[in-house]
Amino acid sequence: MRVRAFARSLLAALALVPLGAAFAAGERERDVKFEDPALRTKVMTLANGLTVLTLEDHATPAVSLQVWVKVGSGDESRFTGIAHLFEHMMFLGSKNLSALGPEAYTKLVEERGGRINAYTSRDVTVYFEDVAPEHLPLMIALEGERFANLEVTEDALRAERQVVMEERRLRTDNDPEGLAFETLMGLTYQAHPYRVPTVGWQSDLEKVSAADCQAFWDTYYAANNLVIAIAGAFDAEATLALVERHFGGLRRAATIPRNPQEEPEQDGERRAVAHVPVQAPIVLAGFPAPPTGHPDSDALDIAANVLANGRNSRLYRALVFDAPLALEPQAFYWELQRAGIFIAGATLRPGVEPAAAEQVIFGELAKLAAEPPSANELKRAKRALEVAWIRGQGSAHALASRVAQDYVAYGRIETLDEKLAAIARVTPAEVQRVVAQYLAPNRRSVVQVFPPAPPQVPAPVAAESRP
Amino acid sequence: MSRAWSCAAAAAPLVIALCACASEPVAAPPAAGDSPAAGSPAPTRDPFAWELPPVAAVERPIVDASRLHRETLANGLQVIVLEDRRLPEFTAGFVALRGAAIEGTSETGLAAFTASLMERGAGERDALALAAAVDDLGADLAVKADWDTLRVSLSGLSRDFEPLLGVLIDVVMRPRLGEADAVKVVAEQRAALAQAQDDPARLALQHLMRTLYGAHRFATPLGGTDAVVSGFDAGSAHAFHSRVVTPASGILWVAGDVDARAFLARAKRAFGGWRGADPVPLPEAPPIPEKRRVVLVDRPALRQAQIAIGHEGIARTDPRRLEAQLLNTAFGAGGFSSRLMNRIRAQEGLTYGVYAQLSQYRVPGPFVISTFTRIPEVGRLLASAFDEMERVRTDPPAGIELERARSLRTGSYPLALETTEAVMAALLDLEVYGLPRDTLDTYRPRMRGISADQVAQTALSLVHPERATIVVVGPAKVLLEPLSSYGAVEVVAP
Repeated sequence: MRVRAFARSLLAALALVPLGAAFAAGERERDVKFEDPALRTKVMTLANGLTVLTLEDHATPAVSLQVWVKVGSGDESRFTGIAHLFEHMMFLGSKNLSALGPEAYTKLVEERGGRINAYTSRDVTVYFEDVAPEHLPLMIALEGERFANLEVTEDALRAERQVVMEERRLRTDNDPEGLAFETLMGLTYQAHPYRVPTVGWQSDLEKVSAADCQAFWDTYYAANNLVIAIAGAFDAEATLALVERHFGGLRRAATIPRNPQEEPEQDGERRAVAHVPVQAPIVLAGFPAPPTGHPDSDALDIAANVLANGRNSRLYRALVFDAPLALEPQAFYWELQRAGIFIAGATLRPGVEPAAAEQVIFGELAKLAAEPPSANELKRAKRALEVAWIRGQGSAHALASRVAQDYVAYGRIETLDEKLAAIARVTPAEVQRVVAQYLAPNRRSVVQVFPPAPPQVPAPVAAESRP
Repeated sequence: MSRAWSCAAAAAPLVIALCACASEPVAAPPAAGDSPAAGSPAPTRDPFAWELPPVAAVERPIVDASRLHRETLANGLQVIVLEDRRLPEFTAGFVALRGAAIEGTSETGLAAFTASLMERGAGERDALALAAAVDDLGADLAVKADWDTLRVSLSGLSRDFEPLLGVLIDVVMRPRLGEADAVKVVAEQRAALAQAQDDPARLALQHLMRTLYGAHRFATPLGGTDAVVSGFDAGSAHAFHSRVVTPASGILWVAGDVDARAFLARAKRAFGGWRGADPVPLPEAPPIPEKRRVVLVDRPALRQAQIAIGHEGIARTDPRRLEAQLLNTAFGAGGFSSRLMNRIRAQEGLTYGVYAQLSQYRVPGPFVISTFTRIPEVGRLLASAFDEMERVRTDPPAGIELERARSLRTGSYPLALETTEAVMAALLDLEVYGLPRDTLDTYRPRMRGISADQVAQTALSLVHPERATIVVVGPAKVLLEPLSSYGAVEVVAP
């Protein structure tokens, strides 16, 4: 399966252009008839460069407001983890809200029954509220307030730093899978900024100051680095006026700095081992892969499906059905904005040697590199991807995420027809080619997590027999 | 990395019916007597949006009655259809109204085992053929057991409805439950039980349940124990399937892009002649723990301690369930608005997440506070958590705090039921527990009618810090001392 992320720089958008004009016609007629809701998306760009996407859908009882900031851990330069730590600080006070007490922002949303949260990836930071439509104006005012008037104090930072460190311990230090993933990213990318964990290193988190947060804000939280997406039951025209009122005064940045993105070509396998007292060992292999939007993306997605989607997939057959080696094989292509990674691996059954499972996984990759998937495998993988796209339209939040993600990645919104047509075009030979090209043994990084060896107990010394 | 710990917040509630006014800032007229003296401009400003009274929520019906269809077949099988033609997709399934809670001590994990085996072949198809029939259509098939039900669910595109319905019928009525597959499932279930030990949160909860429930079924995980599971075979699954998957205690359902009339006719043809066993007796209620125990699960390598604090809670049908939900929203289930989160995360910075959950089953489940913190702060966190348990009894939520919790519940209720699939899940929940069918539409007015006194009474009857059991997973060498002030510490291996 594909884990979607975001790519490419934003294209300039015109004011209030109905997006229909930006859509390319589908290359084939879908055999499932329904209206692609994203076709109703309208794009507006404010004078300060902020982009607003609106998608009315009055069949839902909800509306989702999402503010996408085009900054993630891949943009960090001095302290790892500052993008994510800063995301936390966005909830802790602003000029006109601080008087209401800690977490006032969140409480104002929650007490209206709304869902509020935020997340940071390697490419973006996203803030969202899912609420009943009548509360949307307040949500826009609240987002406008913190994006205009955020206050970061040393006191708030001191407490929140501890919270983030607990998050790190939860997701990485105490989680064998999180630890394996963090290690794999660091092994696969050595020069590229994706090498560092989004949550950051503890020693860096300890040193971030309020002034550093302010500098981060000044650099990246500019109007022309934001995309706002609103989907659900609301009136677009009235809402756009509110967005203009609350966000129109944000400053535009002259430039947004970006880190170098080059990664030297890997030539030779890399390995790391983490000794953790686990019952179920883990083996993961990572391969540098192209960024989102690359012409090979769909073929890599299909390869991942052939390898690990369902009981007829190759890794399931080899690691679970035919031999009791693994609990859960996995293969996925994680497409990020500036690079991608293909991951294949498994959580193993207790007592299974990672090396043994690893050979099975690599054997399956080699087979797929040597011979294309069968017509049936290809059809099944394509259908899985198709259905996932069609079924993922059910909520206002999902719709807002879809259009925002596309717009941030591609500067436009891909129609379902385009997405499905790209999947349909992939041939068995292309799947074979991308596996051979990207998943070659000399491009892989391998992480094994297994328990430390038990302490060596000296063998008992035989009692000397007395003469 | 997200900001908030994701937790299974109970779906619920409704509206801020305080004032129906515009939500945009408007210039408030100066109050009489506050008029500035002539010649001195008043330092007035427009109120911020958040300073205005909340907008009255628009109360929409949760379920459009014209889209909901029900029928009970002669063999007792209930059929529920919720039409939604907006997207070309559907989800369908079967719910058997008994689950792991009816298992005896010699068959713990049997419901989960039977469910897994039901996925490995049905009708004319073996395990791989069944998987192919589903995967070839991009569909998803799952059979899962919980404490109170065994559920088959299948989702896909509506154009594939007919072949997928055939799969559903086979999996429900004609699972193969073959011996070779049973051997594999036993091995997988045993491996999964071992793997669960790697997750400190699951480990803490398992030890809490074991400590609270003694000989009751709740004392061992849904997946059972290694010793018991290793004895399962195909015959075990056949027996459980015959006992539990029967029309007299089952619900067939579908939600999405289907024609209700056609589906009901199809259901009658496929399931009308099905005969099965009478429903088995309901599970027994667990005993109420009499005193606190303190359990320290020794995991020397952990860098963060996992904590679970709990005692008995309420059943899904408990008449206090709404009051309890409202109380717990203010106490520990209301996100950043809750007392626990406000104090332990926002004020003290001790954790990333702290959450209190009332697990409600056919019989009373536990009331559990779950959290985690760095090793040196375990004592401080426990002190804060117990202090809040005491305070919720002596100073229960009232006034604006209670109103905020109430509006969270009433406001989030329709949002949690945004999708047709979520509405169907809520309707099924009502059927599983025999709750009134109009609950989805009466929930909000009932929540609005709860008084502060009722909440206070519920706090006294529900929260018992003096006998709440404590489980901490972490390095025993360091944690023994801070725990010892809560009672005799039982140090156990994972």
